[in-house]
Amino acid sequence: MRKVLFGVFSCVILFHGIAHAQHPDLSGVWTYAIDRAPAALKKEVNRTVTVHSIDQSARHGDATAVRGVLPSTPKPSYKPAYQARVKELSDHESKLDPVFYCGKPGVPRIGPPRKIVQLRNETIFFYEDISGDPYRIIPTDGRPHRANANPSHYGDSVGKWEGNVFVVEVRNFVEDTWIGEDGYLHSPDMRVIERLWKDGETLVWQATVEDPAVLTTPWVMPPRVIKPSTEPLEESPKCVETDGSKLLNNDHHGQR
Amino acid sequence: MRGRVSVATCTVLLLFAAILSAHHSPSAIFDMGKRISVTGTLTKIDWINPHIVIAMEAKGDAGKVDHWTFESNPPSWYRSVGLGRADFAKALGQTVTVEGVRAKDGTFYGYMQKIKLPDGTSLELINSAEPK
Repeated sequence: MRKVLFGVFSCVILFHGIAHAQHPDLSGVWTYAIDRAPAALKKEVNRTVTVHSIDQSARHGDATAVRGVLPSTPKPSYKPAYQARVKELSDHESKLDPVFYCGKPGVPRIGPPRKIVQLRNETIFFYEDISGDPYRIIPTDGRPHRANANPSHYGDSVGKWEGNVFVVEVRNFVEDTWIGEDGYLHSPDMRVIERLWKDGETLVWQATVEDPAVLTTPWVMPPRVIKPSTEPLEESPKCVETDGSKLLNNDHHGQR
Repeated sequence: MRGRVSVATCTVLLLFAAILSAHHSPSAIFDMGKRISVTGTLTKIDWINPHIVIAMEAKGDAGKVDHWTFESNPPSWYRSVGLGRADFAKALGQTVTVEGVRAKDGTFYGYMQKIKLPDGTSLELINSAEPK
């Protein structure tokens, strides 16, 4: 009897191990994939000049030819009833964009995670952001969305594998985030589908926003292709807005 | 001549617009066409988001002291180019020279583009497209 139980127990362990090993491992630290100042640092010491550049490939590289990428559009398509409001927000972006005032970008605007820890029954996304350093715990054991969770900036996520693609469905959002620059508002019923997969050594992230209340069609966002990083995550300093009161006009900027 | 000035001004404006941190529109806050240089005593460094902030005391008109504040790129940007707060903090209480652009509202507020530290080290934000 003990042998039988041991055999069954071993099979269960083996089965779970194989099931876990079937999927690509997305774990690792990845480069920043948000928009950052496109500047380099020129350092001069005793007439010796060195230049340190920022890797912006994850945000601005051309990923249209990457394997598995869905056809995307640079902008969401809004229903006529919301177009004027979106334009108004966009025209006053510098003064109204929540992230300019240390607000949380939320999903999908925060983009791909900086670090992924892939476990047997859950995958954890870690981020660095000027508003703080959020994390998301994404169950992958088949459980449904939480029934009584409060709406939040990063929503409620569940994950599953479709072949080699990790698919995360996110819902239950607060309304006060934008899904991108140019005043891209959303409704509380927005649903976001994130897809992540490996392409060689790189990580590919692509999100689709489904919000039939305000969009004419789901917005498939341009993908981002992210290189592995050796730069460890670090606690982000507090965010204190210092120059918002000095804005003298509505000049447009945009980020992320 | 007018054409030359216009081209030069646009070049400066575009360069600074590209370099300054992706936050509020820089041209909505700063006079992008005019670079300033301020020499004074470094009194404070706030290593905060969305911009690092430094404070300086510089000699102003009629012998009075002007209290300058400069913001610059975010802490994570400086970390990515290999700099931390300590690289600036070593100059606290000493004389530094900062170059950048000044706020349009006329206050002693600017965006730091370059700083020369007491040991002669120069740190400058440049356009990524510039030749190394």
